[in-house]
Amino acid sequence: MATFPDRALAWVNGALTAAFDAALGPLMGWPPVASLLVVSLVTAVVMLLVVARTSNQKGLATTKRGIHAALFEIRLFGDDPVNVLRALGEVVMCNAHYLRLSLVPLLWMAIPLVLVVAQLQGFYGYEGLTPGVPAIVKVELRQTASSADVSADALVMDAPDGIRIDTAAVRLLGSNEVLWRIVPNAEGTYALTIRDGDRAVTKSLQVSASRARRSPRRLQAGLAGQVLYPSEPLVPEESRIAAITVMYPEPGLEVLGWRAHWMIVYGLLSMACALILARRFGVTI
Amino acid sequence: MRRAGYGVLVALVLAGALVAGACGSRAPVGRKVIVLGFDGLDYDLTRQMIAAGRLPGFARLAATGGFSSLGTTIPPQSPVAWSTFITGLDPGGHGIFDFVHRDPKTMLPYLSTTRTEPGGRTLGVGRWQVPLSSGRVESLRHGQPFWEVLESRGVPTTIIRMPANFPPSGTATRELSGMGTPDLTGTYGTFAFYTSEPYAYVGQSLSGGVVHAVKVRDGQVRASLEGPDNPFLKKPEKVRAEFTAQLDQANRHVKITVGTDELLLAVGEWSDWVPVSFSLAPTQSIGGEVRFYLKGLDPFFELYASPVNIDPMDPAMPVSHPGDYAAELAEATGRFYTQGMPEDTKGLKTGVLTEAEFLAQARLAADENRRQYRYVLDRFSDGLLFYYFGNVDQVSHMMWRARDPNHPAYNAVTDSPNASVVDELYRGLDAIVSDTLATLGPDDLLVVMSDHGFTSWRRAFHMNSWLRDHGYLALIDPNRRDDPGFFGNVDWSRTRAYAVGLNGLYVNLKGRERDGIVEPAAREALVSEIAAKLLGTMDPATGSAAITKMYRREEVFHLAGNEDVAPDLVVGYAKGTRGSDESALGGLPLDVFMDNTSAWSGDHCMDHETVPGILLASRPLRRQAPTIEDLAAAVLAEFGIDGFPGNAGERRAKEH
Repeated sequence: MATFPDRALAWVNGALTAAFDAALGPLMGWPPVASLLVVSLVTAVVMLLVVARTSNQKGLATTKRGIHAALFEIRLFGDDPVNVLRALGEVVMCNAHYLRLSLVPLLWMAIPLVLVVAQLQGFYGYEGLTPGVPAIVKVELRQTASSADVSADALVMDAPDGIRIDTAAVRLLGSNEVLWRIVPNAEGTYALTIRDGDRAVTKSLQVSASRARRSPRRLQAGLAGQVLYPSEPLVPEESRIAAITVMYPEPGLEVLGWRAHWMIVYGLLSMACALILARRFGVTI
Repeated sequence: MRRAGYGVLVALVLAGALVAGACGSRAPVGRKVIVLGFDGLDYDLTRQMIAAGRLPGFARLAATGGFSSLGTTIPPQSPVAWSTFITGLDPGGHGIFDFVHRDPKTMLPYLSTTRTEPGGRTLGVGRWQVPLSSGRVESLRHGQPFWEVLESRGVPTTIIRMPANFPPSGTATRELSGMGTPDLTGTYGTFAFYTSEPYAYVGQSLSGGVVHAVKVRDGQVRASLEGPDNPFLKKPEKVRAEFTAQLDQANRHVKITVGTDELLLAVGEWSDWVPVSFSLAPTQSIGGEVRFYLKGLDPFFELYASPVNIDPMDPAMPVSHPGDYAAELAEATGRFYTQGMPEDTKGLKTGVLTEAEFLAQARLAADENRRQYRYVLDRFSDGLLFYYFGNVDQVSHMMWRARDPNHPAYNAVTDSPNASVVDELYRGLDAIVSDTLATLGPDDLLVVMSDHGFTSWRRAFHMNSWLRDHGYLALIDPNRRDDPGFFGNVDWSRTRAYAVGLNGLYVNLKGRERDGIVEPAAREALVSEIAAKLLGTMDPATGSAAITKMYRREEVFHLAGNEDVAPDLVVGYAKGTRGSDESALGGLPLDVFMDNTSAWSGDHCMDHETVPGILLASRPLRRQAPTIEDLAAAVLAEFGIDGFPGNAGERRAKEH
């Protein structure tokens, strides 16, 4: 049974999904690093505004000056071990103080950032399926049910034209999973339908090399699951289905010949943008 | 001022890029020369099929550029012949005389084309060690590859799957290694077979595969794939990657989970490539890839796993040049077998795969190769492209029996359905020829060649047993007349000659072999005596000579620094007879002759004159190439280059 936080998060996810689709949709034709740079720039601006409002700027500036002074002292009095050790201690203390001052804006940003990253994961974390290349669709049943309870024709998957279902429903002994292998025949956005008697749940499916939002999992209520997979509405409560998963490839992004997880690229770009813009916003970070 | 500074900087960077680009670019040659290397295409069979109108692409070539036999090497073995093609040298020059050589210091056989050396010094902590230097893979082939000459003259070259070119020479514009490339464990292919049948393969030592007994518990099998020895452990121990197989007996499917990858497999189905990561130490892992085949679920779980191949997306050993070229190919056309001889002949030989399963697996390998060829061909616009296809050779080895009712292992019921398998593969290559011809411009050239022919292998000859029976090879325990292999029962202090490899025979020479007893002065007489006796040896089953040619090394090789490796005599077996596998690795079965009842029923390691290769071209070549030794020079002549191989003196000395 969905609780209030579940329903609230589902509503937030719905709103964020619509907003991100509207904002990022037009950028999806760009090279992924270019659109990610725009996202990072916006993130940096928001981060700087939050830091400006929520942090002790005076304290941060003083602490940074303290660190610089101690480092300068170490350089100047390198032949005086006692002074060097004392200055090193000051660096450590100032750093601890700096971290404590940074914690406040970090806490303000943490929850929104997690929601944003979860949204971006849908756009940058997965690659679409490829025509002719098989993929697995996995249905997880709720703990109360088991695969043994599912009669042979109880769970059926319907696929639209363009998707071929390659195997019968595979039910694994001692597991709550039912799996199918599908083979896309053509590019497109599809909806698979899992029928359980007279109830049906759909799952989106993206077959395309171009960048777009992709949702690997559709889940029943649950905070952690909703945070990680916000792109689709919750599976209805009355369904025996706990989750439907499509296994999209997760190859990472290619930047200057190197392949890296998109979050690393996003983090570095956001940090770089924030450092460049900090002075313009009058913010010490 | 700052803007002006940026402007200058940008201009400098652009200018630098232009200069660098100009230095790296080459004047276009303006035409394409494509050499298709079809391993093991037999001259007689090709001729018959062309005459019957079954190879229209080949026929077009024959009509426009000619069709002839291509003389092969002594001995006519693939690594020897391809090394000769690459270098224009005979085995004495390039140093590859057989699949297997022997180390005269240990008397043990080793694979002839490549040497792998582990890292040197290590730093030890407990059971762990940190290698301070990395291991090394070294090609043992000597001589200059002909494409190096082209590159030095500004001709771009693409050399794909050239045999005996592992690790890649690094001298072509693009290279992918071929025959001779090992699997991740360093062997030429070791499959794994997981079975819940408790008595399967009990007591059998499978060559080329490992059988794992598994148990099905709660509908699940837990097992592991085996990788190489972990270099971070002091005591050698194989690294493993766990996997699970969950069974759906009713629908005859399993779900296999390897790392984060999950796949569904039906009974009788081959999986696509599955990447596998072997953890060596914290933060250190090595990547491979594997294909599964679900043989059965009922009454027993039976799962085949291919040899773990080097992952082309992240190769643990060099398989291409430049290093990321293998990944480019894999991204464009899918993961592929990096192992040099991908067709699992060992799976069929050991009975783990049936003929139908072997053929299905061979088809997978062939399809991958064709897809990749299409990609390479579409991007090839200038210079030389060499592309190798080895599928016909490997399948011919296993399926030749089906076209020979006189083969001792021929079974009319099981073999007759496969009688045309080899012919169909020839037709597949013909389609490749036709497709390639369609891409040629008026100045372009297509050359089709094979390194040797093929014939039925009906009788096996145990050379070491013959040497034993004729008093040249002595046993430590005379009451035990056999030897399972590696000369375990050989008394070197009384042995004058021994055999290693499929065609090589060696004198136990004082000063060369570890326990040599034959004085150098007596070598010539001994060699003559053995050659004469072998030429007079009749096969009691056929009443014909078992050996038709014996070659002294001085007669056929120009030994340029490879004296210690070269055999003293090369045996030219009569057509239909071949040296046995047992003898090749120092084994001595009781008898000298036996019927070949192995699934490996076709071969070519006989008298080289009986198994020539083929040569076709889309127009007459500027320079004749009657043998494979002349072919590289003929290819270079098409680019106006003479004088290959480079060392003219060495060449002349050989010709005299």
